[in-house]
Amino acid sequence: MALNTLVVDDSSVMRSIIIKTLKLSGLPLGDIWQAKNGEEGLRVLQDEWIDLALVDIHMPVMDGEEMLTRLRENDQYENLPVIVVSSESEPGKIEKMLKLGATFIHKPFTPEILKEVILAVTGVNNEETD
Amino acid sequence: MKKQIENVLKESTIITFEDICFIYQVPELKDAQKNMELEAAAEVKYRGDLTGKLLIETRGGLSMAIAANMLSNDVPSAQQKKDALGEIANIICGNVVPSLGRGKLEYKIESPRPLNKDELLKEEKQGNPLAEITFNFNEGRADIKFFVDGYSATKEKKK
Repeated sequence: MALNTLVVDDSSVMRSIIIKTLKLSGLPLGDIWQAKNGEEGLRVLQDEWIDLALVDIHMPVMDGEEMLTRLRENDQYENLPVIVVSSESEPGKIEKMLKLGATFIHKPFTPEILKEVILAVTGVNNEETD
Repeated sequence: MKKQIENVLKESTIITFEDICFIYQVPELKDAQKNMELEAAAEVKYRGDLTGKLLIETRGGLSMAIAANMLSNDVPSAQQKKDALGEIANIICGNVVPSLGRGKLEYKIESPRPLNKDELLKEEKQGNPLAEITFNFNEGRADIKFFVDGYSATKEKKK
């Protein structure tokens, strides 16, 4: 199973790092889409088949929390695996994201951690990876 | 509070440089590194129960190495270097702010802002950092300063 992945972060550098890390992780990747805020992210989700979304919290226009809230209101994306990748450390904020069904990865992260979490949330078998 | 912030600042900086930039600290500051000229700086402000900022300054080609490693691009553009340094500042700040010890309250961390030399001088005149560390890398040197409005290392010593 190749994972079509959406990376949503307002920092182009951070998007590049996440994509680089994804590629290093040996996960079976399909197309990778990028968006620089939640609004753009939702637009990509409308137009493309996405298996996994990695989303930052603090973004202009629409932040990660609002994006996730809107996403969960739509039956189609109710169960979409979402990983929030952020340097946010405020427990209340993280809890909100977890309640919305996301998994949290704290920045900085290693490729190993990212891979481990993706395997867990997508149910992709480790043997399918390189 | 100074000691606690200093420890978290040190730990967060090491992990961020290692995990995100694949750049590792070297133990000794050589004489040449001490006198390196400032090449780039960025700040990240935070607001909450306490307010302040994190300031990072790089010397000796470190900002080039940060961007090159983060982006896997040997020749990053000036903008990419600024963005990469800002992202590093953002991550370190996000890791340090919770140790201000008032974790039940929310802190808003603003987007990173690159600073030129004039802006940096102006910022530095505005007060002393509560915690300050210097890291040496083969690629250069980083000075990281954490400011909490109303607190400074000197003030805390007097207490």
